[in-house]
Amino acid sequence: MNREQRHIARRNAASKLHDAAEILENAMQSAGMARGEKERFLDWAVGTLWSQFKEERMNQRIVIENEVRQRGIRFPNGTVKKEYKVSFDLPVDKISDITLDGAEELGLTLKVESDGRCTLSGHPLKSGDYTLTLRYATVEGEPCSQLAIPVAFNPNPRDLWKNIPTDENIPYYKPDSATEYIKVEAGAEGKPRKDMIAASQRGRSHAQEGKARDDHFSLYHCDDSDWYIMAVADGAGSARYSRKGSEVACNTVTEHCKAMLLDNKEFENTLRDYVEDRDNQEKRAALTRNIHDILLKGAKKAHDKINEIAAAQEGLQPKDFATTLMFAICKKFEFGWFIASFWVGDGAMCLYDETTKTAKLLGVPDEGEFSGQTRFLTMPAIFRTSDVYNRLRMTIVPDFTALFLMSDGVSDPMFETDKNLNSYAKWEEFYHNLRAGFPADEIGGVDLTDDNEAAKDQLLGWLDFWSPGNHDDRTIAILY
Amino acid sequence: MRRLPVYLLIDTSGSMRGEPIESVKVGLESMLSSLRQDPFALESVNISIITFDREVKQILPLTPLDELQLPEITTPESGPTHTGQALKLLCEQIDTEVRLSTPDQKGDWMPLLFLMTDGKPSDIQLYKEMIPEIKKRHFAGIIACAAGMSAKIEPLKELTDEVYSLDTVDSTAFKKFFKWVSDSIGVGNRSIGATDNLVLPPPPAEVNVIV
Repeated sequence: MNREQRHIARRNAASKLHDAAEILENAMQSAGMARGEKERFLDWAVGTLWSQFKEERMNQRIVIENEVRQRGIRFPNGTVKKEYKVSFDLPVDKISDITLDGAEELGLTLKVESDGRCTLSGHPLKSGDYTLTLRYATVEGEPCSQLAIPVAFNPNPRDLWKNIPTDENIPYYKPDSATEYIKVEAGAEGKPRKDMIAASQRGRSHAQEGKARDDHFSLYHCDDSDWYIMAVADGAGSARYSRKGSEVACNTVTEHCKAMLLDNKEFENTLRDYVEDRDNQEKRAALTRNIHDILLKGAKKAHDKINEIAAAQEGLQPKDFATTLMFAICKKFEFGWFIASFWVGDGAMCLYDETTKTAKLLGVPDEGEFSGQTRFLTMPAIFRTSDVYNRLRMTIVPDFTALFLMSDGVSDPMFETDKNLNSYAKWEEFYHNLRAGFPADEIGGVDLTDDNEAAKDQLLGWLDFWSPGNHDDRTIAILY
Repeated sequence: MRRLPVYLLIDTSGSMRGEPIESVKVGLESMLSSLRQDPFALESVNISIITFDREVKQILPLTPLDELQLPEITTPESGPTHTGQALKLLCEQIDTEVRLSTPDQKGDWMPLLFLMTDGKPSDIQLYKEMIPEIKKRHFAGIIACAAGMSAKIEPLKELTDEVYSLDTVDSTAFKKFFKWVSDSIGVGNRSIGATDNLVLPPPPAEVNVIV
């Protein structure tokens, strides 16, 4: 366009504007508007339309805000220092400049993809309830929109446990942990002999409140008779003096068995007789009688002893000392290992052998429909029914890898169900975990080689393994 | 994993509208944050909330504490209080949600029940019928709370020996009450497993013990 043409164009535009003003003027006149009102009318018309325009723009914003709100964006709860990730969609064709205020301070980052896919991720720095604010722009000229979204981060339960020592002045105080190693050295012929190891650790739930350990164990090897005796008892969490109950139970049966086995030629001869002629009912009955005298009477003695202690104190009942009990006596004979046991309550007692790939439970754990329900040595009914005979087991095997006795503080997290307790594969896994530890949780394994006394501290350390929801006292005794 | 199921039955009838229900919400929020500081609770407590007015709703199915987000609680303008219906729904939910020990799974801990009402059951017939059903469900503890002056104690006493009352239905009272509930859940967590009854921590001054 040259100068001449531009001039013509300007003149045309001016003339058009003049024409339009004239048309407007005429229209206002024919509408009956007085001269003085025309300007006021124009003010009003522009003002009204401007408001309408703004309202429409605001409505557009509100529609978009509603759309965002209706997406129902919710952030699930997270856990401190654990990976957190949540995805959601935003209508990026309608909104822009998206930020999530407060996320960064919590250690989280928001990423918005071009298709509207948003991801909030990171490792939450601190626990608590927080509100994050989603900010975004909608229509040009409208203020920034925002949406508050609550989010909660749980503390890591492992960081919350306290370890309050038990008050040593409480009645029947016992240390918060215990270990023992019984080294049985090689005989004259130089062959290694089995050792016994045990460890007992107060559960985190007790440590949290400075309450005493309720579990107990006892180990004994008679150098003269070569009998091995081991016992594990789990005092009921709610019984006031169950820590004493478990102690009395273990010590009483150990003492009883010790005395019974020290020089019991009759029993050992009956056993040999039976082994030579296993189908002979009479010989079997004779052996059973001996077993009753040793194991059943031992258990009954422990039951009675607890009743005595309870009766000696006003206001106390045997159930205040409620405890489970499992114990076993073992000896190596020329025909193989003889193992006899008694078990009331939960936990696990198992004869494990890698050579024959067998894991034999020495009884049936007493469990109810709900967790934590079991039977106790202290219940009057235990010795009143013939059921008590089912609590006895005896077995003869050429050899075995290990005999385990453990309270439910160990067996529950390790096996969870009865079915697993009866599975050799699970016991194999357990034995592996025992020796390898749990490296991810910085829990070391136990070196179960012959005569390794250091293993008892390793075993105590191993009992600190982590298992959500399982923080009962843990006790394990092993003959290997 | 073994869970400790905790059922909260909350009266949402018309009389709870306004400040009372808002106070309940504040109380519930503070109960959750207090429970989240308890490592054992954090790993085992599962909470369900059932509200009852004319309608009975499980507004929160049994949910692990660490995943739990409090749902909206609404109250109608007015209408009856279907406490019996609420107990019926509770039994149904217990039967489907609470796991029992089988050879293949470890059972849950015995559940706890907290019931809070500011009135009396409008469906008293059904309420009475449900009481033996509730007793069959093996709760480790049932704690009933009569909130405010018009709450009736007698029907609650038929349900449990553990009946408590709140003189007022403001946020202080509910906050204290739910703090005590969370302490009781903590105790429940630790003492379960015995044949004895649950021994509750002493209630705060705002919570009266009904003998």
